[in-house]
Parts: sequence; structure tokens; C-alpha cells
Amino acid sequence: MIPDIAQSGPAVGQWQPQPEVPAVMLDHVSKWYGNIIGMNDISLAISGGVTGLLGPNGAGKSTLFKILAGKLKPSQGTVRLFGTDPWKNTAPFARIGYVSENDALYDWMTALGFVTTLARLYGYTREEARVKAERVLEFVDLKDVMNKEIGKFSKGMRQRVKIAHALVNDPELIILDEPLQGCDPLARTTIMNVIRELGAMGRTVIVSSHILEEIERITEQIVILNHGRLLALGNVHAIRDMLDAHPHSIALSTDQPRELGKAFLDHKEVFGVHFPVEGKLIIRTHNLGALHADLPRLITDSGITVTAIDNPDDNLESILNYLTGGSD
Amino acid sequence: MADNPRPLHDKVWSKLDRKATAILELTLRQYRTRLSTWAVLSVGVILVLITVLFYIEAMSSEIPAVDNDGDSFDSDGDGYPDGQENLLGTSINNANSHPGLFDPPIPPDSAEDWINEDGYDFSSANLDVSQGYDDDGDCRVKIGEVGWSSWVDENRNYISCDYFFEMQGLDLVVDSDPNVDEDPDEDAFFKETLHRSFVLGFGKIGFVFVLGIFVPLFLASGLIRDEISDGTLHYLVAKPISRAEILLYRLLGYIALVWPYFIALAIITGTITGFMGPSSGFFRFQDLLVWFGIALAACLLSLAYAALFMTMGTIHKYGMVAAIVFGVWEFAMAMLSIFEPEATVSRLSISHWGMVIVDGFSNMAWPDSQYIIALGESTSQYSTTPWGERMYSDEMPGTDAFSSFFHTTHLTGNPLQDALISCGVLISMVIIMLVIAQSVFKNQEID
Repeated sequence: MIPDIAQSGPAVGQWQPQPEVPAVMLDHVSKWYGNIIGMNDISLAISGGVTGLLGPNGAGKSTLFKILAGKLKPSQGTVRLFGTDPWKNTAPFARIGYVSENDALYDWMTALGFVTTLARLYGYTREEARVKAERVLEFVDLKDVMNKEIGKFSKGMRQRVKIAHALVNDPELIILDEPLQGCDPLARTTIMNVIRELGAMGRTVIVSSHILEEIERITEQIVILNHGRLLALGNVHAIRDMLDAHPHSIALSTDQPRELGKAFLDHKEVFGVHFPVEGKLIIRTHNLGALHADLPRLITDSGITVTAIDNPDDNLESILNYLTGGSD
Repeated sequence: MADNPRPLHDKVWSKLDRKATAILELTLRQYRTRLSTWAVLSVGVILVLITVLFYIEAMSSEIPAVDNDGDSFDSDGDGYPDGQENLLGTSINNANSHPGLFDPPIPPDSAEDWINEDGYDFSSANLDVSQGYDDDGDCRVKIGEVGWSSWVDENRNYISCDYFFEMQGLDLVVDSDPNVDEDPDEDAFFKETLHRSFVLGFGKIGFVFVLGIFVPLFLASGLIRDEISDGTLHYLVAKPISRAEILLYRLLGYIALVWPYFIALAIITGTITGFMGPSSGFFRFQDLLVWFGIALAACLLSLAYAALFMTMGTIHKYGMVAAIVFGVWEFAMAMLSIFEPEATVSRLSISHWGMVIVDGFSNMAWPDSQYIIALGESTSQYSTTPWGERMYSDEMPGTDAFSSFFHTTHLTGNPLQDALISCGVLISMVIIMLVIAQSVFKNQEID
């Protein structure tokens, strides 16, 4: 390489995005940690919109994200971000924002200082970086506290600082690893709105969670991982519809479970009741929707006080259970 | 695209400003928020100040004067010291022969006038030829008595009452006629040699080695490792910036903190010792060159160690264990470089090259040092006085310390060249270390 001393040569090495390639492409990617498999032969291409990455703890969500963020190298297979291997060329990171699950931040910096400093790593000047930082901090609703030290922030504010930092380069691909974890309901709503807004702006957003309900509120497009394998990929409603054909249960807490059980046995959708512990009643049904509709009436007619209603099946575990054919 | 030249400021400075200074500033601000930084830097300042206090204490105490040639004694009790009687030709053994009987009579000198009466007279120019002047006349008076003889030309160079320097093996020694420069001022000699010993000893051990290795041990080994263990490294690496750049800019941040610190310490110590030290003027200006060498050596050595410790911390999270083992080796080699500079094994260490830089600059600043050592050692001998007594005197105080810390450089023989070669070696070490660090870091997974 001959240095271009006169600075008049062609602008070589300028990385050009390839518009036809997907933002994220994994081709038969596996990752082992010693003998433990973190990711097992995953092929996936994501481009545009918000994608929810769903899986229980240890399913390989963070491993997948770390591979996308250039923190981990795949043991096998190829990873392409905008068509480029991030381990060979860091240029695609100019179009990527990454929010780690790790809560670590430079606590001694102000939110504005943090976002500005890191923005300069994208090649912005000091002034450009500050303007962009203020803009993204406003976007995540932190503008009024941006001159406070991050160490004094609540968990939800810290998450939003991390999101702001990931958005400062105006990225086309945003990777959010468990952005809602540990946040209070208000922060959750703010962050969900931010993510939805980003999707509406045409960005590719990948967001992970182990809570189905959170992902459902953000997006319909989901990818389900379990034990490092890709279990399902598609619209969350389609997956839910499949679940409806599957037996469900409703748990009721009451001081007279047996009397209440008698009242439910007459309902046509109920095919079983049982009493797992004292003061608790489980009703089994094939049609959760119909039973839910009749539930308030049945309870008031029986005149028995119910202290809690719970849907133990309406969670990721039951979906996983269903998808894996109950083998888990 | 020659018709559309890119402006230089946009390519070089502004690009550098964006990424490099961002990481540099981050690094500096990170140092500022860490208590350990302040602790390490203050310990360094305290160590320097305590050592300087010892120096001031030594400089303000006086070394008792020794009458090396014994001529302040009045052998015959006539009130005239032997040296005066000998110079004026009266008998030192006959109380009835003394200069008070001259016409006009000459009053007796006090005995103190004949202690430290024959100081070192040598000029830095023409050091290889005749040197010395017999201030008290106890050699020259013999010329009047006997003319040229073996009495006044023991060194056989056909010049009476002088001495010359010659190499005996690796040692520079003085070949002297009798009673020339034989009774110098112990206090002045001691203070001069002590001053130089302090500057060299403290510069080499305290400044260059101890601060040069401990400051980077505490401040540089975590440059990457702490980011990994804190889980904040991805803020730097998941960016359109190559990892080699991150290493380089982190190291620049370290330099921006540590180099001004070393330079400031050298200026403070150099100023205090420059004013406190023995000097014909009000300030020892020639020392500034030595302090420049010490600061340069400390900066380069601490940079080389920083690059090494940063690399060790990057390669493995327990890299500091290796760093401590390495530190023991470096300490041994530093001591070998100071007290056994001819040993070549120490060239395998980093610290050796720092010592050579200090040696190079001290040789340039004080070219007369080896002659001072030779003269100081030359008083340690039996000599025969003109009146037939054999007497023994010790070497001059301070000679031993000075000869331990002062070395002529022996790479090329030219002190400036030696210093420059050492700088080159240290800079190459930094570059090699950075190449190793980046080739590891480039492929390193971050958890």
C-alpha cells in the first residue's frame, strides 16, 4: 500500500452497501462453547421491519446477537451483514446499532457525553456527534436528563441510553438484546413505542425477549429459538392459532375450589377440572376463547369469591412445548 | 480523480480527530474517574519528593576536610605548618629555621590553609596530555632544588609536576608526578560526585525503572482488559473502526496522561537539584541534558512497558501474572545494566535500553565524569613525600557511588549515537508489541 501523500487519488476503500442483499444473513451457522452448543445450524435472512427473537433463557438468542455484533465468531457457517463478513471488514457497523443485554455502561459519563463520544467513532466530528446525540436522546425521551451521570439512572433509563447510543448513527439494522428486561412498565411502554416507530420508519429491527407477550405487543414477525435451534419463523398469530387447537388450562384461586369446579363442569368446552393444591382449581379446555367469554358469568352465578385468574399456558414455555411436540 | 483533489485537512486531521481523539479523550476521562490513577500518580510524586528530601539533606551536610598530604602539621613546633616551611625552604625539623627569621619576616599561615590546598586542576580540553597544577608548590619547589629529576617526573613524560590519564585495561587511571593535586577539597568533590550520583542513580532506578514499570503496570494493563471484564468493550468494537486503531488510540490516551506526568516530575526534580546542587553559577545548566535523557528514557520505557502490559492483558485475562514474572526479569536486568553495564544479556530486556539512554545523555552533559572518578580513585594510594615520609590516603569520598552509577557508553562509543540507537530499539519494541497485540485482538471473541 503506497500512501496517498498528495491526497489526490481515488477514494479507494470506501465501503459501498449492496442494496440487493439482506441486512442479516446467517448460513448454516453453528457456535460451540467447548462441548456446549450455543447455536446449532441456523440459517436465517432478515431484512426490513421488526423481528422478534423469542426463546427461553439459554436458547441462543444472545449468542446469535453476539455473532451479529461481531463479538463472537461462528464456529461453522457464514455470517453476512449487508453482504459483508463483519470479522473481515468493520465497515457494515456504520449501518448497525447494537444494544447488548449487558447492563454495563460508562457510569461516570453523562448520557449526552456517552452518546456523543461513541458517535464520534462513526467518524462524525465533535459538533455533528453532539447534534445527533441530542436528537436520539430526545427520541428515547431522555433529553431532560441527558446532562446527568448515567450512574444515577434507573434501569429503564439505562436501557434507553443504550438504545439511544445504538441509534445515533441512524442505522438501518438495529439489534436489541432483551431491551425490556428489568424495566418498569412506563419504560417498557416507551421502549416498545420506540421500537415500533423504528419499524415504521422502515428500519430492520431485531429484538429478543423470553416473554411472548412483550414481543406480541411489538411485532407480528417472530423467530423462535430453543436449545440453539431455529424452531419456528413466521407470524405470531399463525403460531397462536395452532396453539388454540391444543388443550389449555385456566387456574383459579379460591377458598372453595370444589364447589367452583362443579359449576364449571357443566360448561360444554370444559373437559376436566383438578385441584393441584389447596385453594386452587385448574380447568382444562380446548377452546380458551369461548371459556374466557363465559368465565365472569360462571363465577358470579356460583357466588364463590375468586381471588385470582391465571393462564398458565399462555406463555413461551407452552408454545415451545407444543412446537417440540411435548418432548421438552 | 486528479481534477478533484480531496482537501488534506478533511482526510488526515479531521478523520484522526473524530475517532482517535474520541477514544483518547474517553481514555483520559476514564483515568480521571478512577481512584487508582490518582493513587499511582501520587505515590510516584511522594516517592520523588522523599528522595529529593534525602538529597537536600545530603547536600546541606558537610564532609570533614582531610589533609591528604599531612603538610598542615607543624613538625618542629615553630608555628609554621610544614607545607609553608617546605615551600619557603626552611627546615621542617628545626624550630630555629622558619620564615619568621627572614627579612622582612613572613607571618605563619594557619594550619587550615594547608588542608585542601592542592585541588584538582584539569581542563576538559586536551584531556589526553599533561594535566594538573601544583597549587601548594610542594612539587615545584623541588624543581628549584634539583632541576629535572625522577623526583618531579615520576610518570616519565618529560614534564615536571603534572599527571596524565591513561587506560589500563578498561579502567581509566591517573599517572601522576608526586604531590600534584594531591590534597583537594573533599567536601566540594563529595558534593559534586554525590550530586551526579544522585541524578544518575535516582534517574535510573527510581525514575526510569521503578516509575517506568509501575506506572504502566497499573495504568496500561487494563486499557483493553478492563473494558473486556467490565463488559463495555463492545461500545468500542461494534463500530466501523478497526481493532488495531482501538489499541493504538487507547495507547495514545495513556501517553497523553503519563508522558506529561514524567516530564513534569523530571522538570521539578531537575529544578530542585539544579538549584541545590554544587555550581559555580546559580544553576547547574549542564544537568538539564541529563534530565532530558532521564525524561526521554522514562517516557519511552513506560511506553514500551505499556504496550507490553496492554498486550498481555489483551491476550489473556490472567496476563498480569506473566507481567509480574516479567517484571522480576526486568528488575534483574535493570540492576545488571546499572552495576554491570558490560554484560550483554541485559540487552534482551526493555529496561537496559532506558539505562543506555540515560548513560548516553550523562556522557554528553558531563564529559569529565570518568576523569573525576579516576582522580578520586588516585588519592587512594601510598605516596612518598619530598621529605621522605610514606603516607596513605583513602580515595575521595563519593568516588565509589559515582563510579557505580556513571558509565561510559559502549555500544558505538558515541554517547549520542548510543542514546539514539536505544530510542530506536524501544520504539521498535513498541511497534512489535502493537503488531502482536492487534493480531491477537483482531480475532478475539468478546463475551
